[in-house]
Amino acid sequence: MRPILLQGHERSLTQIKYNREGDLLFSCSKDVLINVWFSTNGERLGTYDGHNGTVWTIDVDFESRFLISGSADNTMKLWNVQTGKCLFTWEFPTAVKRVAFSENGDQVVCVTEQRMGHQGAIRIFDIDRSSDGTNQSTEAVNVFHPIGSKATVVTFAHKPSLILTGHESGKIALFSAETGEEVETNQKAHMETITDLQLSPDRSYFITSSKDKTARLHETATLRVLKTYATETPLNSAAIAPLRPYVLLGGGQEAMNVTTTSARQGKFETRFWHKIFEEEVGRVRGHFGPINTLAVHPSGKSYASGGEDGFVRVHHFDDSYFKTRPYGEFEPDP
Amino acid sequence: EDAAEESNVSAELLALRKRLVDEWNAWRAQVKREARGQKEEEATEEIS
Repeated sequence: MRPILLQGHERSLTQIKYNREGDLLFSCSKDVLINVWFSTNGERLGTYDGHNGTVWTIDVDFESRFLISGSADNTMKLWNVQTGKCLFTWEFPTAVKRVAFSENGDQVVCVTEQRMGHQGAIRIFDIDRSSDGTNQSTEAVNVFHPIGSKATVVTFAHKPSLILTGHESGKIALFSAETGEEVETNQKAHMETITDLQLSPDRSYFITSSKDKTARLHETATLRVLKTYATETPLNSAAIAPLRPYVLLGGGQEAMNVTTTSARQGKFETRFWHKIFEEEVGRVRGHFGPINTLAVHPSGKSYASGGEDGFVRVHHFDDSYFKTRPYGEFEPDP
Repeated sequence: EDAAEESNVSAELLALRKRLVDEWNAWRAQVKREARGQKEEEATEEIS
């Protein structure tokens, strides 16, 4: 499983995302750039240039037509995936920390940061897909301010009428997209900040990662905890693998007093855990700093990690990954 | 004796894993049934 190294960012990665087909991989970084790569060979296809601050977050729609991005420059931008042209810019009082398209691409949800007299906000925008994409409304169809702990991650839930959030306190919640009312909450989903949230393909369950060193699997409809994966390091990202019953966890703490023994290979690892048995099954080394973001190819054939070291590493699974049955014939449904 | 103990432990572990997989599969089946029910409900609403 020789990885492909994507070298095109000068600072740490903040989020990576595959498109639905998995042929493209999008990456954003503190260096204010967004890049798009061919996931099979790592060739850079293009760049989306226009933000003036850290790009915290990206998402691509179901037909790989529009890309949405959120930045520390207090803007959210809509891009034409193919041409790289910025189609529309929304401006806010604070940084945009997380963006997500709805399943059919007709809406976007975003979280803006709580800062200096500004409440943290969740906004939902309609996306006009009828023309070239430049005809968007600056007005949100709904804005709401979660009370209590601020939201760090957000996405559309199993129904487009529900917004799923993860918070600084470790809480997860479901909000009505229409009224902004909190309809379901799990205050103790984690003990510390939730750093990532990724849904299963059918959105019926999701995984969260947290600074509390655990990742958890939850049922979307009830927010009930299904599984817990307890590691010994703060986690920045977690992803669900299709095809095999595994989840991928990434994180790590910058060690202060590490003596450099071998500089050839970074020691920061992506951890593979059995989704059902809550046992670690393997690790993949490579990064020279904490892993900030993970994404699994939608077909389950490869995965990518983005690090504090500024690199994206794409790993294509070899045959043994698919053939090995470390737990015998116990094969859970996806 | 050690070998007997070991095989006991693994038998327990195997039983646990089987239970975990059964529980998971039962939950997945329930989720899928509910999703189908929801779709039928929505289709009925659209017709009426």
